[in-house]
Amino acid sequence: MSILSARDLTVRFPMPKTSFFAERQYLEAVRGVDFDLAEGRTLGIVGESGSGKTTTAMAAIRLTGPATGEVRFEGEDLFTLDDEAMRQRRKDMQVIFQDPYSSLNPRDRVNHIVREPLDLLNVGDDASRDARVEELFGLVGLRRDQLNLFPHQFSGGQRQRISIARALATNPKLIVCDEPVSALDVAIQAQILNLLVKLQEELGLSYLFISHDLGVVRQICHDVAVMYLGRIVEQAPRAELFAKPRHPYTQALLSAAPSLARRKSAGYVRPAKLKGDPPSPINPPPGCAFAERCPKAQAICKQDRPELKAEGDALVACHFPD
Amino acid sequence: MSALLEIADLRVEFSTRYGPVTALDGVSLHVNPGETLGVVGESGCGKSITALSAMGLVPSPPGRVAGGSIKLAGEELIGARDARMRELRGGEIAMIFQEPMTSLNPVFTAGDQIAEAIMLHQDVDRGTAFDQAVALLDRVGIPEARRRASDYPHQLSGGMRQRVMIAMAVSCQPKVLIADEPTTALDVTVQAQIFDLLNDIQRDLGTAIVLITHDMGAIAEMADRVAVMYAGRVIEQGAADDILDNPKHPYTRGLIECIPNLGKGANEDGGAVPPPLAEIPGVVPPLHLLGDGCAFADRCGHRFDRCDTARPALMGDAHPAACHAVEEGRL
Repeated sequence: MSILSARDLTVRFPMPKTSFFAERQYLEAVRGVDFDLAEGRTLGIVGESGSGKTTTAMAAIRLTGPATGEVRFEGEDLFTLDDEAMRQRRKDMQVIFQDPYSSLNPRDRVNHIVREPLDLLNVGDDASRDARVEELFGLVGLRRDQLNLFPHQFSGGQRQRISIARALATNPKLIVCDEPVSALDVAIQAQILNLLVKLQEELGLSYLFISHDLGVVRQICHDVAVMYLGRIVEQAPRAELFAKPRHPYTQALLSAAPSLARRKSAGYVRPAKLKGDPPSPINPPPGCAFAERCPKAQAICKQDRPELKAEGDALVACHFPD
Repeated sequence: MSALLEIADLRVEFSTRYGPVTALDGVSLHVNPGETLGVVGESGCGKSITALSAMGLVPSPPGRVAGGSIKLAGEELIGARDARMRELRGGEIAMIFQEPMTSLNPVFTAGDQIAEAIMLHQDVDRGTAFDQAVALLDRVGIPEARRRASDYPHQLSGGMRQRVMIAMAVSCQPKVLIADEPTTALDVTVQAQIFDLLNDIQRDLGTAIVLITHDMGAIAEMADRVAVMYAGRVIEQGAADDILDNPKHPYTRGLIECIPNLGKGANEDGGAVPPPLAEIPGVVPPLHLLGDGCAFADRCGHRFDRCDTARPALMGDAHPAACHAVEEGRL
């Protein structure tokens, strides 16, 4: 059963008018996104910066502005909930942010940081909240004698553990992980990824996992959605996506990712080179958004936008998929 | 072939509130013409301080070069006059910094900033320098270079800003180019473009490149030789293939094993959950807390009594490593 499903999710931000008579322009950060996140699994959203991956995830848990479409959390339509009902629902969905330096209050002791969601959402009584904080510290691999320290006394990896403890405090079912390891060194990154996998197995969590690093996504995600300029261009189970990427953009992303097997000494030359930058999300081009950078683009790509269609086990939005 | 840039037994100290700490402790590196040396390690291992020392840019105070030598094409840089360093910097040895957003001046156009670098080192007027800047922007793959030359940094994307930095760095055809984590702030697709560009420049100009990174994947793709640094020392050094295929030091092994893999045949596991990544437990120790033993001992799975009492020296000829366990054949 899917714990979170989105249908035709769209986020449009109004831009400031350039003059009184000018027509208002809109930045479409997310355009008609559909996805299903199954219970106890991890759905990865990958893409370059500006592709709308964070906005998609934040809109799906009602943390960002004017979203339209439908999002169901355990079958319940989130966009129609009133504020108090939504607040109660927040216990079930929490977030881990990218930067463990700016997402923890520097003036607050870490035991209070981890306890705060319990206070705000009125979970349990005083004693049980304190006990829960201690339990969480153990769960994420921090020591009890560190409870009264301030965030600056921890390293980046430990801070991310604190963020994870805070996210786990209310016993959520879903955690949105917004690039949780991209600010960390590779050695520390491995510690945090292993912790996330362990917690998922022990607590049955579902993750919506945002990343730009395909290696990380392959390590942790069961299903992967690749986004480009606000749309999903390919969605597939992990094995399928990495074994047989069908969209030219997915192929380009894979060939761009550094890998130990690609050696300079062996004369490695990158096959599919991606030129330039993605187009602007204000007045995006009418056809396929990737057409300008695509090695396989034909005339039709610039006129008709390809819909997401089934190809084997995958969904691909391309006129000429592999 | 004699080395173009040769760093020998370099010692850099910083005065801190914990007293003087040794940020670099006997670092020796060299890079030959047309070669790429990868310097790899976690944050706080001394990679960037090594680069800044070579540029004569160690902030002083609190930093101080306490010993050793840095030779650029045979010329000693330590103790060189400031005027001479200014000639060399940008002319013979240039650097690309990590964060293109903060290393470009926001109130000058991209073209003007490159032209400034050219005018400092060549006897040309502003117009000629600007034309050269446009040609360089074109060379580094910026479309509509003439129009873009008049853009300010905030009008450029992250990838384009880094290209401007590279254009500036190669404007006087330096012999040595130091790239300090040039792609960490960028998307993988842009990173690939930047790597390809650096390789092109090296091929065309024969530039020696020192690539500083924490990513072993980048090392595989870019480097001919590798130096692995930990807590201010080089702990393993050798040809890129030797280091990647046959790492000796437990730290190097850890760095290689902790990378989530893409490359070893993508469909091997048939969609099963990948095994947990190998971890290096703990973090790099603060420099003021280093004892007499091996700095890595606390995080090492092969620790034995000797590791706590004596610091291992870099041993071996072609592929030296600084580890007691390796030395005694325990590994």
